[in-house]
Amino acid sequence: MNRLKLLLLAAVTLALFYALHFKHGDLPPLGKLFNPFAGFWQNNAASDEILTDQQLPELQETVEIVWDDRRVPHVFAKNARDLYFAQGYLTARDRLWQMEFQTHAAAGRLAEIVGARALEHDRYRRRIGMVYAAENALKAMQVEEESRLVVEAYTEGVNAWMRGLHAKDLPLEYKILDYEPEPWTPIKCALLLKQMAWTLSGYSADRSMSLTRSALGEELMQRLYPQYPPGQDPIIPTATPWSFQPSVARKPGQEFHSTLSGATINMERASNEGSNNWAVAGSKTANGYPLLCNDPHLALTLPSIWYEMQLVAPEVNVYGVTLPGTPGVIIGFNQQIAWGVTNAGSDVLDWFEIKFKDENQAEYFYDGAWRSTQQRIEEIKVRDGATARDTVTYTHHGPVAYRKHEKPFNDDTPSGAAMRWVAHEASREMQTFLGLNRARNYEEFVAAISFFDCPAQNFVFADTAGDIAIWHNGKFPLRWHEQGRYINDGRDPAYDWQGWIPRAQVPHVKNPERGFVSSANQNATDLNYPYYLGWDYAAFERGARINEYLAAKSGFTPQDMMNLQNDVVSLFAQKTLPRLLELLPPQHLNAEQTKLYNALKAWNYEYWSNLTAPMIFNTWWRELFELIWSDDMKIGENELKYPRRDVTMNLILSEPQSPFYDLKNTAAKEALSDLTLQSFQSMHRKLTEAHGAFGSSWNWEKARSTDIAHLARMPGLGRMRLPTAGNSDNVNAITRTHGPSWRMIVSLGPEIKAWGIYPGGQSGNPGSRFFDNAVDDWVAGKYYELFYLKMASDIDARIVGKTLLRGGR
Amino acid sequence: MIASAICFVLMLALQLVTPFWWWIMAVPLVYGMWKSRSAWEGVRTGMFSAGALWLVMSLYQWLFGGQQIAERMSAMLGASQGWLMIFITTLLAALSAGVAGSSGYGLMEVWKSK
Repeated sequence: MNRLKLLLLAAVTLALFYALHFKHGDLPPLGKLFNPFAGFWQNNAASDEILTDQQLPELQETVEIVWDDRRVPHVFAKNARDLYFAQGYLTARDRLWQMEFQTHAAAGRLAEIVGARALEHDRYRRRIGMVYAAENALKAMQVEEESRLVVEAYTEGVNAWMRGLHAKDLPLEYKILDYEPEPWTPIKCALLLKQMAWTLSGYSADRSMSLTRSALGEELMQRLYPQYPPGQDPIIPTATPWSFQPSVARKPGQEFHSTLSGATINMERASNEGSNNWAVAGSKTANGYPLLCNDPHLALTLPSIWYEMQLVAPEVNVYGVTLPGTPGVIIGFNQQIAWGVTNAGSDVLDWFEIKFKDENQAEYFYDGAWRSTQQRIEEIKVRDGATARDTVTYTHHGPVAYRKHEKPFNDDTPSGAAMRWVAHEASREMQTFLGLNRARNYEEFVAAISFFDCPAQNFVFADTAGDIAIWHNGKFPLRWHEQGRYINDGRDPAYDWQGWIPRAQVPHVKNPERGFVSSANQNATDLNYPYYLGWDYAAFERGARINEYLAAKSGFTPQDMMNLQNDVVSLFAQKTLPRLLELLPPQHLNAEQTKLYNALKAWNYEYWSNLTAPMIFNTWWRELFELIWSDDMKIGENELKYPRRDVTMNLILSEPQSPFYDLKNTAAKEALSDLTLQSFQSMHRKLTEAHGAFGSSWNWEKARSTDIAHLARMPGLGRMRLPTAGNSDNVNAITRTHGPSWRMIVSLGPEIKAWGIYPGGQSGNPGSRFFDNAVDDWVAGKYYELFYLKMASDIDARIVGKTLLRGGR
Repeated sequence: MIASAICFVLMLALQLVTPFWWWIMAVPLVYGMWKSRSAWEGVRTGMFSAGALWLVMSLYQWLFGGQQIAERMSAMLGASQGWLMIFITTLLAALSAGVAGSSGYGLMEVWKSK
């Protein structure tokens, strides 16, 4: 061999090592990943084995873990500290990557893992003050002795699990993304709660609403964007009297109109995809005790959002779902009470237009004088790149997310404005869950939820004593009517939040006459409630359908509740479709279009997976909706906020001659019937293009289907194209990506019984059979009986093993 | 054959006690420098020893609980069958160890010719 060839060979060897040892863009380090001794092969089903007994010096006494056949850990500890230590330990065992990745995302630290492409995401998270919010929450958490101890114990538990990890034991995602976990710290628990707060209350239409008002004027705004849309069946029964003397927020004499501009797009609120909860009094149930149900709807991912656990210590015996990374049970039951949550949807985030002295943003004009801002330096580490430094300006309102001429990461974020968000306040949400976990009655339930500030939730309650209740609960700013619907004037103190609605005065009801309470993200109250809470709640259908079902009869059983959670009746289609078919001239339809027409005529308004009508109707509605509004709601590049679906429905049903039907871009004057025909034809064309000729390929399960993607969108690790039934306006509100993240039914009484399911599995390991073992049953609407143990020594066929976590050395 | 067996055992021991994948390159490289009489022998020894090691180990994993993870990885890489992961694992080891083995021989040749 000559020397050149040899050098070439050496270069090839080095290049091969380099190629296989390092991550290149999205390509994982293949040498490490395929190494059968430490790579992906080690993430096999060995994790399904029952955990062997462990010696953990941090524990004061022995903790006993009983495992059931779905790998739910039932944790029996002799004191609270050991209990939460064990919770952290076991959660980390099954979900370490998920809980850590979510805190990285919340804190704006994804660029550390995936490099510069996450930089704008991270910058955005820093600019909206996620870490600032978590720091404030942590301070409050540490003031309270109990929550401080609980968080510390949980943190120690997570770290104890990590301490024993070798490279081969790391969750798969660390190997694919080529990084390692860092020690868990208490702020990560707070970050996870803030992440949930952002998911559920971070939506804001203030910018597009301001632009829309400038274009349409106040009168049309009231008509097209009403605070109380048609058909609403609010959470608190209508005409409920409010006996308190409300505080009053003073409205400034002149309405402020924001000058902030920039492109906007029409965005629909994610929470319109819904959550449900209800409780039925014993007077309406078969066994004479209350039934409580909850199905919170979220973006579905694998590993699953929830982790099921039973936590038992001297003062607590609670079962339910936990949020990996946070101590306690979030939704569940104990021997005396059960509780559940839906998103309240009230407005807890406002924007204030700021006038800065100059580009430095060191001073801003407020109350007739220049005030100093505070500047927070954010360092964003970037994998394989230089650390980015960012300065975030804070006013007394809150952080300024983007400078006036910067393009925001999210289109609904106004540039040049400061955000005030309740989640930035010091708060103690964790104390709520600790309180709920051991609450024994209504009074203790109310005391527990008084700590819960943001994201505001509809807390439903039932207990064995027979009480049922619902609270539209959270820390709500005291505002004048419609304050915060548009961008506020950040210069004028009159636009500041003027205090808080006293907690005793937030909408709530206990043991109402009708014998049930319910919520489905709709308006909390009718217009008699004296405070302004917001305007953009979920449309009427789910709430009205639940109330209709629960009012219709008595003698409810858990099976009835399962049927209701899986109910796919659309009140929206029931109201709208007959009118649309009436408007459609059948003589203008060709043979295939007539088949579609007949399929709709024969439809019973139920979104079953094997029907074609749901796909036809939804596509037709989308086309019609777009046709009605796209010409009226566009100004240059800017889209105004489209009126809501329920408002549009009302327009169609009650205003046959509305000027909105005329298409501005044509010379002719169109009527609603022209639009229905045009949209019907374009629906036919689009569905044919997408799914071929009319037939079974148009079935809801095929043409719509649901994807449960991997949390980091890694291909192959999710469950895709699931043949689901249901639609966003059904009680079973499933969409392509969202759905019931946990279905729970609790039958209270001397012997509490409960059923539940979530779309995933207990394990976060894609190589485990418990990674997604419940998905198919969830699609089919099945439930598992939740196995509530009184003692660790209970004997049952569902128990598959036990683990002892022993204290001392 | 004996050389491959020695390399196999050595790599097995090193891979069991450390997490590093690159032993399958380092060991054939050193063997190539130390004992190979030709580049082809370096290639052959590396390919057989490392290929066999990763084949046996991945096959073992596949048979004892590794099918689901192999199928998911296969789907991630756009392949259709989980067992293809055994093939890719083996190929990856054989290729990198073979190149390292011949490179080891070559480096020694350069050293000797000085």
